[in-house]
Amino acid sequence: MSKLLEVKGLSAGYGPLRVLHEIDFSVDRGERIAIVGLNGHGKTTLFRAITHLVGWQRGTIRFDGTEIGGVRSLGEGRRTPSIIRLGIAMTPQGDAIFPGLTVRQHLDCGAYSKLAWRERARRRERIFDIFPPLRDLQGALVGKLSGGERRMVSVGRALMVDAQLYLVDEPSLGLAPKISRRVVDALMAIGLEDRAMVIAEQNVSLLTGKVDRMIGMHAGRLRGEVGHVELG
Amino acid sequence: MDASLIVYAVNLAAIYGLMAIGISLLWSSIGMVNMAHGATFAVSGYGAWYAAVTFGPALKAALGGTAFLMPAMATMLAGAGLVVGALFGLLIYWLAFLPIHDKQNFAVRSLIVTLAINLATVQVLLWAFGPRQKGLPKIFGFGRLDLFGVHVRYDQAATIVATTVLLGAVLMWLRHSRKGLEIRAMMQNAEGAALSGISARRTALPVMMLTGALAGMAAVLLSQTVFVSPTAGAIPLIKGLTIALLGGLGSVPGAVLGAILIGALEALTGIIPFLGQRYVLFVQFAFIVAVLLIRPRGLGGLLDETRE
Amino acid sequence: MNTTDPIAPVFYKVGNRQREWKLAVDGAGTWSRGRVPLTRRHWLKWRGGSNPKTLRRERQLVDKRPLWWVLGLGALLVATPFLSDQAISIASIFCFFAAVNVLWTLVIGTAGIFSLATMAVVGLAGYAAAAANVYLGVPWPLMFPVGAAVGLVVGGFLALPSTRLDGLYYALLTLGIAEICRVFVSQIKELAPMNGSINKVDSFIPEAWFLQRPGLLTGFFAAFVLLLLALLVFRLVNSERLGLALQAAREDEAFSEAVGIDYRRARLWVFVISSTALGVVGAFYAQFYRSISLSVFSLDQLMLLFAMIVIGSLGRAEGAVVGTAIVVLIDRGLTDFGPVRIILIAAVVIAVTLTTHHGLTGARDQFRAYRNRKKSERRALRAEKGGEVLPEEATEMPDKQEVYYRLFDKRIRDHLKTLITPELIEEHKARPLGQHSDALDRVLNYFRRGEMPDKYAILREGPMSECTYKIMAFSGVAGYPPRVVDDRHYDTLDEAYHAVFLLRVNDLLES
Repeated sequence: MSKLLEVKGLSAGYGPLRVLHEIDFSVDRGERIAIVGLNGHGKTTLFRAITHLVGWQRGTIRFDGTEIGGVRSLGEGRRTPSIIRLGIAMTPQGDAIFPGLTVRQHLDCGAYSKLAWRERARRRERIFDIFPPLRDLQGALVGKLSGGERRMVSVGRALMVDAQLYLVDEPSLGLAPKISRRVVDALMAIGLEDRAMVIAEQNVSLLTGKVDRMIGMHAGRLRGEVGHVELG
Repeated sequence: MDASLIVYAVNLAAIYGLMAIGISLLWSSIGMVNMAHGATFAVSGYGAWYAAVTFGPALKAALGGTAFLMPAMATMLAGAGLVVGALFGLLIYWLAFLPIHDKQNFAVRSLIVTLAINLATVQVLLWAFGPRQKGLPKIFGFGRLDLFGVHVRYDQAATIVATTVLLGAVLMWLRHSRKGLEIRAMMQNAEGAALSGISARRTALPVMMLTGALAGMAAVLLSQTVFVSPTAGAIPLIKGLTIALLGGLGSVPGAVLGAILIGALEALTGIIPFLGQRYVLFVQFAFIVAVLLIRPRGLGGLLDETRE
Repeated sequence: MNTTDPIAPVFYKVGNRQREWKLAVDGAGTWSRGRVPLTRRHWLKWRGGSNPKTLRRERQLVDKRPLWWVLGLGALLVATPFLSDQAISIASIFCFFAAVNVLWTLVIGTAGIFSLATMAVVGLAGYAAAAANVYLGVPWPLMFPVGAAVGLVVGGFLALPSTRLDGLYYALLTLGIAEICRVFVSQIKELAPMNGSINKVDSFIPEAWFLQRPGLLTGFFAAFVLLLLALLVFRLVNSERLGLALQAAREDEAFSEAVGIDYRRARLWVFVISSTALGVVGAFYAQFYRSISLSVFSLDQLMLLFAMIVIGSLGRAEGAVVGTAIVVLIDRGLTDFGPVRIILIAAVVIAVTLTTHHGLTGARDQFRAYRNRKKSERRALRAEKGGEVLPEEATEMPDKQEVYYRLFDKRIRDHLKTLITPELIEEHKARPLGQHSDALDRVLNYFRRGEMPDKYAILREGPMSECTYKIMAFSGVAGYPPRVVDDRHYDTLDEAYHAVFLLRVNDLLES
């Protein structure tokens, strides 16, 4: 079986700033991977390069055999919806939420495939089982929710559809430790049969021991296991 | 106050409302001000006229004398108007949205391109059909019915009913359908929508065809009282634009309210002795100026989901 | 026997020098530059320098736009008297519309206020001036102040809502005002008994010359002067304090207010100034045609003017003039085409808007920005942090020693990175001071040779008997003391030395 995601020689950046330097990276089906590193070192850029939201990128990205990388063409984000619909679900850093829509409508937005849309009520229930507080907030406008609740909505939205690859960017960003642990536990509880999950995170301790592989990212390059020097 | 005046006012409000809601809807969903709405109106009028001239005789021959003639003609004309309007909306989509929707300065540039399209279309119509007006067959006949003691002309009744039904359907579609949800998501967070698999191009297309169809419907309905001509779209465009702005650009309920107010105002102006028809536009503008000075964002400025 | 032909050397031109025009000057004399009277501005923006190779003095014209202006307007002025009557009237109309558009650009471009009331102001002022002349017997030279006064008053009224409404709402308001003006004027029977127009207006063009060639020429020269005055007004407002304040407010009102710009007053001023000028233009219009009619308020005319501004560039005077030229040429020059010329104008507008971000005159900057972005992306792909200097940067650096030092430094660092191993670190941990292996020596030598900002110091806390050590980093800037790096403290000096070594190694590996 081919790898689910294969990234070879990926360089990406914004204008004159190069963030990623020739990244080689692959994800197998059924794997749960964590990419750890400090802010500004390229974790988010890696995810955005996969979904075609960066300024420019070079290198190959193969998702389930289909080539989705390539030089970024004219409009930023123009190819993103079609790439997403291949089977990727991404929770961006800082939740891209729709302030005027309710929680229920947010979850519905995430169900982009026909099958997911048809059974959206059932899947919503499943999300409410994973994140119980959302059940009481179903009709509330997401713009008025707290940070933790928004994060749950954002993660829940990504889980509505049966994506092959889940990209979760900094699930604990800006959250109190208890809530971020709950979010991470929910992510870990999701069974991945032939799917894969990649989590980018700054807080190493949240994920140690819970993921299959932990890769460090530093200055735009992947460096095996966590950090080479403890200091600095 | 003559009750038929109210009917007259509501009739006008319905037609202008169709135009205004088209403009407001387009702005709120994709951030584009469509100055070519008047052109859509005029072109649809001509489309309906062309259909009447081409298929009218055949229909008359087939159904002449039966009770089915009127509804058939009505359906054909309305259908022609809707189809031509939608197609013109497609043209505007292709020319003014697709090339520049994710580029710099989109709002201003789309305004300019649609303005140019408007200009060019009027000239093309002038050149193709000549400056004289064409009449559309009266599809509703000249009768009138008595409703609770008020005289209502058939065409007025049909206009009000048709518009209410159409607009109601559009609003329901927006609120409850999947496409409607995608449209609302897209206007609140473009990147979030892209990450949820919502493509701006695929969502804009049905919206533009829909607003084009609405303008086409308005053309068919208004042509019962006014002739079809190349410059017929100018006044409905101005009225639609002003009502949309009066109601707060982007607020569909505001546009409805604005349409009702403007329709009432037009009806009133017509009967006040020292004003008369000539002052209609003047009075309407004065009213709108006054409202905007008091509430700079229009009437519906506080309602949900308005784009700046 | 092998003979080799001498190879003719090939010189590749590198750098920007050959693309610039430089004037050679006599370096012995003093340089006197003329100034615009009553100001301290120079006429042209010259910059002096020396040729790096020959060391001769040379000069370069940095801003070439005055040249283009003089060439364009001069050509117009010189060529027109020799053209046909129709061409002269087209040129006059061009000057007139260009003047209106330049003043309009002041409001819609510099101030960013979407006002559509230009022709309303022109029309009102024109009607007032014409009425003053025809009904009140005011002599024609005084028509201009009358027009200006009316323009001033109207401008004041227009300014008031501009800070309350923004964008399209204000455009709608001005559209409404234009419509109201039209109806208003047409309703006042005393003003215009014959279908809304005032005729037989006295003018600077003598009655006998009107519609004859001498009259056309006079009209053209007067229109040309009008255009020059409009450009002067634009320049005086746009490039000076008022214009800068307006542009700041256009970008972001809240920020500009926070910086202390009273943008409401600035907008009031720009409206007053531009409307006054438009009032003068209105009086000119009445005199040029010796009459004024309701067609001055027409919406089609306004749309045409808008097309002119848009084709050029929303915000630059060059744009207004270029756009006006294109549209007037198509509209009046190709009258045989009939309504097709409007379609042509619309097609030009669409083509320009779809391809350029800010109109035709902004096209060069747009292309340059695009090319720079592509260049920097390609450079980012090649460059590494702290690596070699790229060729295009190297030609701009006068001290070539610096270029070579960066190359040398990079090579050393790459070599040292290969030397750093866990054993090396252990070796230093075991014995920070003392006999070291060759590899460790090289690394330490490189560290010792570094500059002050890269180095660390050790801070001793407490009395000598029971002290702890902390690490500090130098700021490298005079007057700024070193700061403690983190909270860890070390009990022995050796541990502190090793900690500094690890920090330096980390910095090396990151560079």
